[in-house]
Amino acid sequence: MKFYEESDLPIYIQVAEWLENEILRGQFEPDDKIYSQYQLADLFTINPATAGKGLTILFDHDILYKKRGLGMFVTPHARSVILSKRKNEKLTLLVNGIVDEAERLEVPFDELIDMLKSAKMKTQGRDKND
Amino acid sequence: MIECKKLSKKYRSHSALSNLNCTIQENTITGVIGRNGAGKTTFMKLIAGYLKKTSGELHVMEENPFTSLKVSANSIFIDDQMSLPTSLNLKELLNSFARFYPNWNEPLANELMTYFQLPQKAYMQNLSKGMRSTFQAIIGFAARCPLTIYDEPTTGMDAAVRKDFYRALLKDYLAFPRTILLSSHHLEEIENLLENVLIIHDQKAFMHLSVSELKESVVAVKGEKAAVNEFASMHNKLSINESFPGMAMAVVQVNNYIRRENFPHLTFSNLTANEAFIYLTDSREGGIDRVFERSELD
Repeated sequence: MKFYEESDLPIYIQVAEWLENEILRGQFEPDDKIYSQYQLADLFTINPATAGKGLTILFDHDILYKKRGLGMFVTPHARSVILSKRKNEKLTLLVNGIVDEAERLEVPFDELIDMLKSAKMKTQGRDKND
Repeated sequence: MIECKKLSKKYRSHSALSNLNCTIQENTITGVIGRNGAGKTTFMKLIAGYLKKTSGELHVMEENPFTSLKVSANSIFIDDQMSLPTSLNLKELLNSFARFYPNWNEPLANELMTYFQLPQKAYMQNLSKGMRSTFQAIIGFAARCPLTIYDEPTTGMDAAVRKDFYRALLKDYLAFPRTILLSSHHLEEIENLLENVLIIHDQKAFMHLSVSELKESVVAVKGEKAAVNEFASMHNKLSINESFPGMAMAVVQVNNYIRRENFPHLTFSNLTANEAFIYLTDSREGGIDRVFERSELD
């Protein structure tokens, strides 16, 4: 039996993430036209319907908007949407990891909160010393 | 484009397909996947009009393919048993296909012949297995038929040619969208090309879904024996391995999204589309290991 890692994401999500990275990289400015599903299909050798699904995710998150008959374009606030989405996902993942580890080590929840508080105090202390 | 209702095919007393239901939309690429002898080739030959159905309904382009000139003129079936006249060389074969198929793209055929280094003056019977498959694939591209069916098109092709074939298939599809059926034993090689997968199992259309849905429908779970068994009993258990003391690994089919955070004592992992397919279609309890265990007991 062989197990694969969780990072084995569906292709359409990988396409969406790749496009997000292109936007973060500044490859696409607000109101720029993004790749069509056919261009994406050609770029990655994937079915155009799969590429279309990736674009739809970004449309649903308000990162892209449609112009009838012209294709998909980057919204003015695309960058900030992507950044806040990524931050939330990353932070949630870290917090989940902390809670899991605390349970494994049998650290009571109150103690975990205290640890978080003292960590916060330390960073504040560091800020003052700067 | 294609509609089947309770489609059945018997070869004398041997049943190859029974009560198969499915609908295939126009201009999609569908992978036809199944274990050996599942009925893939029979299914595709019925659609191409090569075989006559025994019972049920089958409509291709709204007609019965077995008696339809429309289907015959608008479809092409590519497999390694295509009977082509041995007295014609490759160039002459291409010319005769050009006369039959109205959308024939001659420049593309010539470019592909040069790219894959197929000599125009050669004869089919003198080509290697891989080169023959390549030549037949070229016919499939150049014919630009609204319904193009490839049955195991990559037989004998080396890895580099297979990669080129998949890329060519996609590029040609983007340039000239059409309905494509593609059967293969290498799901991992074709999964990204496909819009849908049609799994034929036990002579039926077992599942018809997208590749990502196929992946999500099966999950592997690891953990303490009791926890794994409890989880497996709530779903359709496909396989369980308890060879580690106190631990178990199970593969289960799930009908809806599993909130993994609700099962903190279990470790979940995803399978590839091909592994999911193998577990779903494995009817033999315990797999190959069990056969050896049984034979050792005797």
